[in-house]
Amino acid sequence: MAPAVAQHRRLSADIAVSLNGLVKNFGAFCAVDHLSLNIRRGETVALLGPNGAGKTTTLSMLLGLLAPDSGSASVLGMPPATAVRSGRLGAMLQEGRLMPGARVGELLDFVLGLHTPAAMSRKQLVTTAGLVGLERRTVDGLSGGQTQRLRFALSIASDPEILALDEPTAAMDVEARHAFWASMREYAASGRTILFATHYLEEAEMFASRVVIISHGRIVADGTVPELKRSIGYRTLRFQAAEAKTEALAGLPGVTQVTVEHEQITLKTTDADATVRALIASGVAWSEMDVQSATMDDVFMTLVGANTDKH
Amino acid sequence: MLGYLRIEVARSLRDPRYLALAVVAPIGFYLLFAGLFGQGQSVSGLSTKVALMVSMGVYGAMWAVLSATGPRIAQERSVGWLRQLRLLPVRSDAVLVARLLAAMILAGPTIVLVFITAALTHGVTLDAWKWVALLGLLWIGVAPIAVLGIAIGYATNAEAAFGILYGIYMAISALGGLWMPLTMLPSSFQTLGKLLPSYRAADLGWRLVSGHSFNFANVLVLLAWGVVFSLAALYFAGRVARTR
Repeated sequence: MAPAVAQHRRLSADIAVSLNGLVKNFGAFCAVDHLSLNIRRGETVALLGPNGAGKTTTLSMLLGLLAPDSGSASVLGMPPATAVRSGRLGAMLQEGRLMPGARVGELLDFVLGLHTPAAMSRKQLVTTAGLVGLERRTVDGLSGGQTQRLRFALSIASDPEILALDEPTAAMDVEARHAFWASMREYAASGRTILFATHYLEEAEMFASRVVIISHGRIVADGTVPELKRSIGYRTLRFQAAEAKTEALAGLPGVTQVTVEHEQITLKTTDADATVRALIASGVAWSEMDVQSATMDDVFMTLVGANTDKH
Repeated sequence: MLGYLRIEVARSLRDPRYLALAVVAPIGFYLLFAGLFGQGQSVSGLSTKVALMVSMGVYGAMWAVLSATGPRIAQERSVGWLRQLRLLPVRSDAVLVARLLAAMILAGPTIVLVFITAALTHGVTLDAWKWVALLGLLWIGVAPIAVLGIAIGYATNAEAAFGILYGIYMAISALGGLWMPLTMLPSSFQTLGKLLPSYRAADLGWRLVSGHSFNFANVLVLLAWGVVFSLAALYFAGRVARTR
């Protein structure tokens, strides 16, 4: 008995967020379907899924904004609302206007004043969130990207151990997005736990150490990016060839799909090594060969597509 | 929470519509009515220009506290700011207290500006202690109205809130004898008017400046309204919480 209890305690100490069998229905529509997920301290997890997959609903339950129909969510071993009130769980939502008529600087002073002593100086917060020069602007006069950065500032003002972000770069242009992730990298480097929902594959791939793919309210995949790519079971082989015959290429070992575009050939294969050996042996005049593991696009389309077919 | 308080007061003072309705309007109406009728005496032996000063003080202060609560709560519910507050390490009752305090803070300067207008344009003079006491009585007298604002803010949606509040505001101002003395209205209206918090708050002031004795009934009626509005606010706020 004792070792199991000790192990349980050790695991619990490690777990930052615990979602158990969450279910949420809106009328006849099932938004979240028995979703369970454990996130360990220090992980950076991307919740990846198309629009309508249940990411926002899941986050809402994780943050205590929405009560699940069944199942439970706990953060750092306590109810989500308690974690938020203690300043240890911060969150940034996608929508929602901020306090109309308030100035940026005033809002920042307000959130910083919620903790005594303040977790950081106003100058630090302004710099980290990229709000330099906007302090006297009223909230109503901010662009979509600026509003997002202000929401980000509100979420980190208490210096929370865990940060939950819902599509954080949705309203941002490319430059702003890069700047945002640069700040986030710094922020995450100090051992904080970050969970972000996104439908951008590149974001999930670039920034997360672990990707959880959600579709139709369920988790369809959960692992590191290399693990997910390997799990798809095929790699992509590309090369240039002037006179390639589709049937001949399809006959190569491991090949499951052939795409020919002018002289650019793309093969999907379950055994890239065998295909390459066979290709070289075949005497086809190829050039510029490129072997890649599955892209996140492939992973996504395969897993989400398969889940969609089931519905 | 001081930070929140600061924002609530600052954004009223920065809002032209607030300044128009809570500051310019009472001063304007005072100048208009005192100009037209200011020479006379109202029935209770109180000069009209002083009675009007009290009424307009209450009139302005009521809008100050209503506008800082009702429309804001309704709007913030619909645009998602209240939801954002639930993501911050702040307690919702602390926010409510800050709102009430901000509303009350805003009421003071409105009353003072009406006093200054009356003193400068119509030569109203009172003993120094009476100015202070009058300010205090009117200021506290509008506190139940602030709670009414909170109740309506949770009860209505954002588009309707302003209109409903303004309608209620106008009704209780007129029926409470702030525009014309109650004695000039038909007797059934008089009975109704005496129940209203607007009348009772103003009566605290009228009795002070006319030298009449303090009437505890005013305080009791105001307290009763405070309780009724508080219960309404709790009910409507609870209803909002339950629909999540």
